[in-house]
Parts: sequence; C-alpha cells; structure tokens
Amino acid sequence: MSSSLGRIAAIGRTTFTELARLRVFYVLVLFALVLIISSSFLARISLQQELQVTKDIALGAINFFLSMLAIVATAQLLPRDLEDRVIYSVLAKPVRRFEYMLGKFFGVLGLLVISLVAMSILCLAVIHLREEAAVRETMQQLSQSPSDELDHALVAVHQAGANRDLILALLLTLTKAAVLVSLTLCVSSFATSNIFTISAMAMVYLVGHLESIARDYWLHQRAAGWLARTFLAVVAFFFPDLQAFNLSDQIIAASSLSNLMLLKLLGLGAIYIVGYIVIAIAIFSQREL
Amino acid sequence: MKPVLALIFILLAFVPLKLKMEAACDRIAPGSLSIGLREQIGQSAFIAVLGGFRSVIADLLFIDAYSAWERTDWTYLLLRLRQATELQPRAILFWEMAGWHMAWNAGTAALEDDSKSPAARRRLQHDYLELGKDFLVRGIAHNPEKPQLYEALARLYRDKFHDHARAAENFEKASRLPGHASYDERFSAYELSYCEGREREAYDRLRTLYQRGEKERLPRLLNQLRAMEERLKIPANERIP
Amino acid sequence: MTEPAIHVSDVTKVFATPFRRRRIVALQHLNLEIAPGEIYGLLGPNGSGKSTTLKIILGLIEPTRGSVRIFGRDHSAVGVRRDIGFLPENAYFHKFLTGAETLRFHAKLSGLSGRETKSRIAELLATVGLARAGDARLSTYSKGMLQRIGLAQALIHHPKILVLDEPTAAIDPAGSRDIQNLIVSLKERGTTILLSSHLLTQVQEVCDRVGILHRGKLLREGHLEDLLAIENQTEFIVENATPDFLDGLEQQIASTNARVVRRKPQTSLEQFFLKVTETSDE
Repeated sequence: MSSSLGRIAAIGRTTFTELARLRVFYVLVLFALVLIISSSFLARISLQQELQVTKDIALGAINFFLSMLAIVATAQLLPRDLEDRVIYSVLAKPVRRFEYMLGKFFGVLGLLVISLVAMSILCLAVIHLREEAAVRETMQQLSQSPSDELDHALVAVHQAGANRDLILALLLTLTKAAVLVSLTLCVSSFATSNIFTISAMAMVYLVGHLESIARDYWLHQRAAGWLARTFLAVVAFFFPDLQAFNLSDQIIAASSLSNLMLLKLLGLGAIYIVGYIVIAIAIFSQREL
Repeated sequence: MKPVLALIFILLAFVPLKLKMEAACDRIAPGSLSIGLREQIGQSAFIAVLGGFRSVIADLLFIDAYSAWERTDWTYLLLRLRQATELQPRAILFWEMAGWHMAWNAGTAALEDDSKSPAARRRLQHDYLELGKDFLVRGIAHNPEKPQLYEALARLYRDKFHDHARAAENFEKASRLPGHASYDERFSAYELSYCEGREREAYDRLRTLYQRGEKERLPRLLNQLRAMEERLKIPANERIP
Repeated sequence: MTEPAIHVSDVTKVFATPFRRRRIVALQHLNLEIAPGEIYGLLGPNGSGKSTTLKIILGLIEPTRGSVRIFGRDHSAVGVRRDIGFLPENAYFHKFLTGAETLRFHAKLSGLSGRETKSRIAELLATVGLARAGDARLSTYSKGMLQRIGLAQALIHHPKILVLDEPTAAIDPAGSRDIQNLIVSLKERGTTILLSSHLLTQVQEVCDRVGILHRGKLLREGHLEDLLAIENQTEFIVENATPDFLDGLEQQIASTNARVVRRKPQTSLEQFFLKVTETSDE
C-alpha cells in the first residue's frame, strides 16, 4: 500500500513539476491576477455597490482561469507521454495503470491548489481594501444618522464584502476544477489527440452548466420526441452539473450556504471525481500502447 | 467482453448515485432566459452566460447601465437594466437601482424636458414611475424574503405616487422580514397616519412603538403621536407626557 | 531444471485498425525461451515484430493468443516488472527533469528507499559516464547522453532481466564499446539480457544466442557459433607471421583439395577508429 502511494506521489510530483515549468501556466495565472485587480476599476459606481460587483467579477475570473487551467493542463498529459514514449519507460516499471492515472490527477490538482491560493489571496486583499473604503464612506455619509441606521448600513457593507460564503465559493471553484480534471482524464484515456480532448471538454463545459435544466426536462418528461428525450437522458446521466458549484447566485442573494448543503456539494464533487477517474482507469487499462 | 462489462457495471453504479446526489444539491434555479436575450446581448456574451458566467455578464451590463445614466440615455439604460435583472434576478441591488433610476432620475428628467408640452411631460414621467414600480414588484416576486425591495417600493409610493396606504403596507411587510431597517415600523405608522379613516390604527401603532422605550422615542414619532392624540381627541390622562 | 528467465509460448498478436477495416498480424505463433544469465539477440528488419515482442514481454500490451512467463510468473503481473529493466528505442524521458531527477523518479517507481536511491544515482551516473551532467536538464542532453541515462534508469533497481531496444543507437564507437563491455559485465553478474539491434557486428560480439524475426515469424534461432558455422570454411587470424611463412601455408593448402578464399592483412574499421582515437587521447 505504502509503495503504491509512493509511486502515485512520484508520478504526481513529476506531473506537477512538468506543468509548473510550462510558460502557459504563468501566463494564465497572470491574466487572472490582472483581471482580479482590474475588476475594482471596472465598477465606477458607489463603493458599496462596487463591492458586490468586484466580488462577482473576481470570482468569475478565478472560476474561468482555474477551469481553463484544469482542462488545458490535463488534456496534454497523456498524449505527450504517449507521443514521447515516456509512458513505456514508466509502465515498464512496477507501476499499475491506476497508479499512473491517480498520479497525473494529483499532480494537476496540486497545481490548481497553488494557483487558487495565489488568486484568492489577491482577491481577498482587493475586496478587503474596498470593504474598508466602503465602511469609511458609509460612516461619513451616516455620521448624523441614528446609531441603529449606521449599524444596519455597516452590516450591509460587511455582508457585501469578504465573508464565509466567499471562502466557500472559492472552495467549490476548486472542487469544480477537480471534477474537470477527472473528466478530462476520462476523455483523454481514449482520445488520440490533445485537440480532440480540449474540444470535447469545451463542449462538456458548456453542456455541464445546463445539465440541471436537461435533467429537469428529462425527469419531468417535458421534451417531445424520442431523439430529444435520448439526448436529455445522455446529458443527465453522464455530464456533471457544473452550475451546482457556482455560488454566485447565493452570494448575490446574500443567503448563506448551510454546512449541510456544503457537505452535499463536496459529496457531489467526490462522486463525480471518483466516478470519472474509475471510468478513465477502466478505459486506459485496456488501451493498446 | 470483460472490460465492456466492467464499464457497464461502473456506469450502472455511477449514474443513479449521481442523479440522486444532484437532486439533493438543487438549490436556487437561476431562471430561464428569454428568446430575445441572445440578440440583445450578442453571441459572445450569450455563450459566456451559458458557460456559467451569467452573474459576471449581468455585472458588466449593470456597469454599462451606469454609463448610460451618466449620458442620460434613458432608453439604453432601461434596456441594460432589463437585461441585468433578467440574467441575475437574485441581485437586490439591480432591482433597487433600476427602480430608482426609472422613477427618480428618468422620471425627473422627463418632467424637466422643455422640448415637450407640460401634459406630455407628466405622461412620460408617469410612464417612468410605472416602469420603476414594475421593476420593484418583479424584484419582490424573485426575492420575497428580502426587505430592501419592499422598503424601496414603499419609498416610491410615498414620494412619487403619494399613495400613503400602499407605502404603509410595504413598510409593514418589510418590517416583518429578517434584516429589515430599524425605521420600517415607524415609517409604516407615519404613512398610515396620513390615510383617511385609518387614524386610530396609526395611533395604536405609534403608541406601541412609544412604549418600547427611548430607542423609539425619536422627535418625529413624538410629534406625530401628539398630532394623532389631538386629531383623535385622546383623553389627557392617556396622552404621552 | 531451472525456470527459464523468459518463456514466450505460442504468442500471436493481431492489431485491429479503427472500424475494423484491416487486421495487422504483428506476430504469429512465436515461441521463444531465454535461459537465466544468457544474452539473447532479437534481430529482424523494420516491421518484423521485434518491438511488439518486447512490449508483450514487458506487459505493455497483451497478446491476442498465447502466454508469456517471466521466471515462471505471468508477464502481466505488476510484481514481475521489479525484475525487469527496459531501455526503449530512441528513449525519451521527461525533458524538464535533470539526469539525477530522472533516476530518482524511476527509483521511486521501482520502490527503492531514499538512501539506496541516492547511492545508486551516484553510482549509475558514473557508470554511464554522466557524472558531470547529472544536474543538467535532459533537454540539453545529446542523443547519446539520453541513451546513457536511459540505460541508467533501466539498471536503477538491479533488475534480473535487462531488455534493451537498440541500446547503441546514436552512440559513438567508443561509447558503444563501453556499453558492450557493460553488457558483458552484467552477464557475468548473472543478469539475463534480451537485446534488439540492427548493428549485427555488435550482436555477434556479445550475444550467446540470436533469433531472427521476419514478418512476425521466428525464422531461425540458436547459438551464434552454430548458426554462423559454414561447414566447409574455417577462419584463422594470424599475427606476426612473415610473408614467407604465409606463402608456404598457402602452397600447402593448394596441394590439398582445399583452397584459400581470401588472404588480406586487415583490421576492422571499428578497431582502427578506436585505436586512432585512443592514441589521440593519450
């Protein structure tokens, strides 16, 4: 068991090193950081209103770049190893194919965690600065008002600023990215090229955000015709509900995510990740090298 | 054949578990999109909306609406506010600002438009007031648990429609929701006191607030209570000191 | 009786192309046995099935029919690969790693401990002549250096069997000679070696037995001296003989039924090259 973990860790570390030394990684993270900073300049409305918009755009930027990084980084792993024949020297060692796949998964996940931490620190810093400025402005505006009005206004400012739900949103963004990694590995396990995997995952990404609608239509038999119903069934059965990990509606509505719902969402993420990786391993185990 | 069987088995285990867990995680549905939205916001923005960036696109549309306000382009402002609220109906800020822009800014601009006749100006202002009200009413329909929109609607009725009964009603609704402003009950009582035939009801409410202590005994409340005491001819021994 | 190191039994491999348009028969009823401690050369033209044979032995692909056993165990068992070291043809490794990092990676995959890994890396880098290049990234290595690091990773875990696919490809004659010497020393330590190469002279020098594959079939197999013996020809290589002695020898041969096929004072190009370069180094 420990030697199996050792092999997975070795492949994971090598995968992480491979990706971290790619220039595209730095470019992507830099773009995300620029977008997070510029989000605070985009909103030229009042400071209190800016907070909500800044948070939304920063979260959107992190979500987009982390998802893109997950797909692009994972898509090129298997084809590169196959093309360069590195896979022969790895699998000629006492390495099981599932260990190889798990190592790849954890390598990419490590990269995503580090990217998320970097982007989150900046995002929280920008929001914190905006929140402080909004508090100062509110206190100035309501200096003559009764204290309960001022308190009420300050509560609204803090609700719009960095809070528990923002941290949870970032955690769920990472969960969504991990789901995308596992699904990309799954597609990659039978795909013959990098381009095919990326194109397929772009489609999966779009459809995944509409999966809940497709599932609803299929469950309540709202579609007419067997072709439409079959299509909806395929989407409901195999595509992940990516919209579930999007907390922006929750944050906008300032309705806090309960601990139970958080556990359910993390559980959903775990089911997707385990399911897609098991399928990926099953397919890859039968692949002729 | 064996690997195919293994794959089928995996899928048979995975799919039901997936569907069950997804159902358990269903929360707020973002709402459907109108057919015309794609033409209005363009293909790229529409794809971004489908790709899970609905909220971000709504923010950008809202920022664009702000620019339209600065240019006093009321038609474009209205279009952008409609799009922003359609994309993100859970954003209280959007509905509140939409109501304010239409009723206060666009309405006032219409009233001061010298290029039109006085009658035309009043009609246009009334149209904008109705648009403002419509935004707030639809916002409340999407967010019935939020007091802010009831408060905004109450202010609209009070300041623009001069409909004290409806203003009182909406301040009262707001006061029953968590996170409401501390003045909601007081304002509801004040508005009620301007309604013909509801003076006693208004007095009882003001009295109840007075009895809560110093926190509520603000100058306006005291003045209003005394005025009601006069109007209703309340016996001296029952009046406030 | 000792278990053979590698036992390939009636292996057939058919590759199906997409949409089942065509079937490619890569190997047909292949039977092969390699004894422990033997150096076996697998020869054949391009497309004969050599690489397929090696991949099947390594468990990288499964045969369509037949079986392969490594020291009596099924080839697809992962544990079997602890006993095998493999140098692929045109070995590619992670270019972003250094030589030492590559060996460390493969040591971890083979289950070596930290301490053992450290000593083994130093030892192997010296053995393959890359002691000074261990900290450079593989992207800066020449083809020959990549081949050497490939050999090092194949040896990192003291394998009982070494499978070498074109081990001296892209290596200069001096380096080639070093690798040959290394192969022989490994054999002396009891390592079984399966070698696939196009360089027939080298195969001739190191291998005990060879097999010749062609279009997926093993055409001939056996000990070199048996395969190469030409019944009615014998070769002598004579040193320091005077011209008179050689003339006398030729006359004596002519007086019998035998005849001299060739008389030529000559060395091989390889030996000449080595002599010149070694002299130049001195």
